[in-house]
Amino acid sequence: MIEFSHVTKQYPDLVALKDLNLTINDGELFVLVGPSGSGKTTLLKMINRLVVPTAGSVKIDHQDVSQTNIRLLRRGIGYVLQTGALFPNMTVAENAAIQLDNLGWDPQKKHDRIVDLMNRVNLDPDVFLVKMPSELSGGEAQRVGIVRALAGRPKLVLMDEPFSALDPVSRRQLQKIMIELHKQIDTTIVFVTHDIHEATLLADRLAIIHNGVLLQVGEPDHMMANPADDFVKYFFDAEDSGSRLLEQVVASGLGRPKTAADNVIELRNDQTVYEWAGLLERNPNERVSVDGLVLTASDLISYIADFAKGGQR
Amino acid sequence: MTDSVVNYVNKNWTAILQALWQHITISVIAMLITIAIAIPLAIVLVNRPKIGEVISQIAGVIQTIPSLAVLGILIPFVGIGTVPAIIALVLYAIMPIFQNTYAGLTHIDPVLIEAADALGVTRRFKLFRIELPLAMPMILSGIRIATVLVIGTATLAALIGGGGLGTYILLGIQTNNNAALIVGAVLSAILALIASWLIKVLAKVSFKKLGIGLVTLLVLGGIGFGWTQLTRPSQTITIAGKMGGEPEILINMYKDLIEENQPNVHVQLKPNFGGTSFLFKALQSGKVDVYPEFTGTALQSLVKKPNGINRNPRKAYQDAKRELNAKFKMTYLQPMAYQNGYAMAVRRSTAKRYHLRTVADLARVGGRLKGAFDPDFYQQSDGYPGLQKAYHLSLKSVRTMEPSLRYEALADGRVDVTDAYTTDPQIRQYHLVTLVDSKKFFPPYQGAPLMTNQFAKRHPEVVRDLNRLAGKISTTDMQEMNYQVTVKHLKAADVARHYLIHHDLMK
Repeated sequence: MIEFSHVTKQYPDLVALKDLNLTINDGELFVLVGPSGSGKTTLLKMINRLVVPTAGSVKIDHQDVSQTNIRLLRRGIGYVLQTGALFPNMTVAENAAIQLDNLGWDPQKKHDRIVDLMNRVNLDPDVFLVKMPSELSGGEAQRVGIVRALAGRPKLVLMDEPFSALDPVSRRQLQKIMIELHKQIDTTIVFVTHDIHEATLLADRLAIIHNGVLLQVGEPDHMMANPADDFVKYFFDAEDSGSRLLEQVVASGLGRPKTAADNVIELRNDQTVYEWAGLLERNPNERVSVDGLVLTASDLISYIADFAKGGQR
Repeated sequence: MTDSVVNYVNKNWTAILQALWQHITISVIAMLITIAIAIPLAIVLVNRPKIGEVISQIAGVIQTIPSLAVLGILIPFVGIGTVPAIIALVLYAIMPIFQNTYAGLTHIDPVLIEAADALGVTRRFKLFRIELPLAMPMILSGIRIATVLVIGTATLAALIGGGGLGTYILLGIQTNNNAALIVGAVLSAILALIASWLIKVLAKVSFKKLGIGLVTLLVLGGIGFGWTQLTRPSQTITIAGKMGGEPEILINMYKDLIEENQPNVHVQLKPNFGGTSFLFKALQSGKVDVYPEFTGTALQSLVKKPNGINRNPRKAYQDAKRELNAKFKMTYLQPMAYQNGYAMAVRRSTAKRYHLRTVADLARVGGRLKGAFDPDFYQQSDGYPGLQKAYHLSLKSVRTMEPSLRYEALADGRVDVTDAYTTDPQIRQYHLVTLVDSKKFFPPYQGAPLMTNQFAKRHPEVVRDLNRLAGKISTTDMQEMNYQVTVKHLKAADVARHYLIHHDLMK
């Protein structure tokens, strides 16, 4: 159990957190969500003392983190950063085993543990363990980051916007992996994101933070139904559009029938317009096919333009 | 040109290899010390940016001081020889290594540092497995810059008796021997290139292998050093000489004379060791046991009696001997016969035409002759101005010229009179005539071994051996030997031995 009580963080020119109280229960996947600059990452980093509060206390299992040995504390907590943050001078295997090395695991046990976790995040150990980080894609690097965080069987894992730098396809895959992993292990996970869609997808419970103030805490469904104030409501409205699916684009009458000559990427109708936009971002000329219809970049623009006029709602 | 270089290398290759090895040793020691200072310093200061900045500034300032000045500043504190050379090199090399290490450590992606901290790795793990490897490319480029710098600057070590390839550059400049100069310069340049390349290659070798290699090298080096220490003769005497061929010939004679009589004594020679004050300080500090010094120089530069120098060589020697003993507790052995003082030199044809035998003869026809003098001689009161007064000499025209050029100018007829040192090989080379100083205007310059009283007391056999040269070697002999060594490029050791055998001083 993690308890924040009356936590304040004052920087010379701004107040990052104001007198914040929050309790995170054992074994839950708890998401801190809010716009950038809201103070959510500051709150996360107080748990492993990367940030020290100006006032108030942070306790893990009733023990104040400021009173524990900082290295032992951190060695017992998994940490995933925005990018993989893998050390470029070490192989994937060495990166994944850093905490185990520092915890003094014996080599065979270490190897078995890493192989097991690599399989769980769908990376073939035989292929990937000997690679260097520079040979990995962003999604692969982040999977190794997750393996590294989980390797020492920590009771607690902290994740700081781990998927926000990834392309939509990789992000979706990793979100699925997270949900699966969370079912398999009883580790407490504290997850920071600015993406309310991601938050509702993953969270057992979530907390919305804005300008250093905790606005609301609860289960996603309950919060969506009972927003505490306008900001929370606005945030969830954005989420509504976030779940906009290609199914709806096709339903709105856009697109033309696919012919044999079309060279297209097939997408399912339950994928979102954001994944589609992500593909277009990389190649504006990319054409996709959904339910036998071909969609182009101009279809996406028409769809959004209609949406702005209120035509879709 | 190429021929003369090849010739020079052929005749001196053992000595050149020795100088090369010495150069490498000095450079490697300086680099190891620098690395041992600069990298830990940068590591310590990386988390103290204010002090780090100050140190960086200081290192930068040190580097702007000319290396020659650093050497000069160090002499009063650490003397001369290899030690101050290495200290100066270390001072120079610290800056690039420190700055690159510092920059390498501070420019690591902060995300990686955060990751390392958040994972709770030990301080050692963070430094050796993360920070240093990530900073390594920068550190290695710093080491490469410093190595090239050190190998280049190490040539200056020769100026203060540190040895190395600089000896040949200096020798080349002082004796107008381009072959020696090229050998020294080219070898040090090649050495720098190879070292730079080697570091580049080693950069790709893993940390572990590098460590094993380094330890192996150190162990092998230690064994080698221990072996040479164990196998060398029980007693070593160090004899040094000033720049040039003549002192080198003399000290080779000293070595032969001593070693022939005392087989258990090893004489270590340090030819081209440096100028008068360097050698004298080395003698005082015990780094050098014996070196040949001129009576005139001793009186003028060492005991500082420039005015009252007795023109009688015998008396001048007695004065020098007495003063050196009184002032510095030094023993000045019996001088050799030859004089290496100033003289007026003319072409043989000129001498014949005007019947010149003495300087007084020269004064008689001075108005018809053009002179060229070394700048010092032209200005010093014991040079041309004094000579003018003493002999009422006045030449048609006089100009100053670099010492090495004035002989050529004389030989090809552009001038008619120059100043000369009586044993200069060019006198023989160009068939010049030196005029007799009948009024004894020039102070006497006789060579004799100089050593501390303490050394003389402890080594009476050495004193006895060296005294066998007293009154030996005429000016013509010395001229001839200088000619063999500096013009014909024969080995000083061979020329010296040949003389000793020929004159029954040695079997």
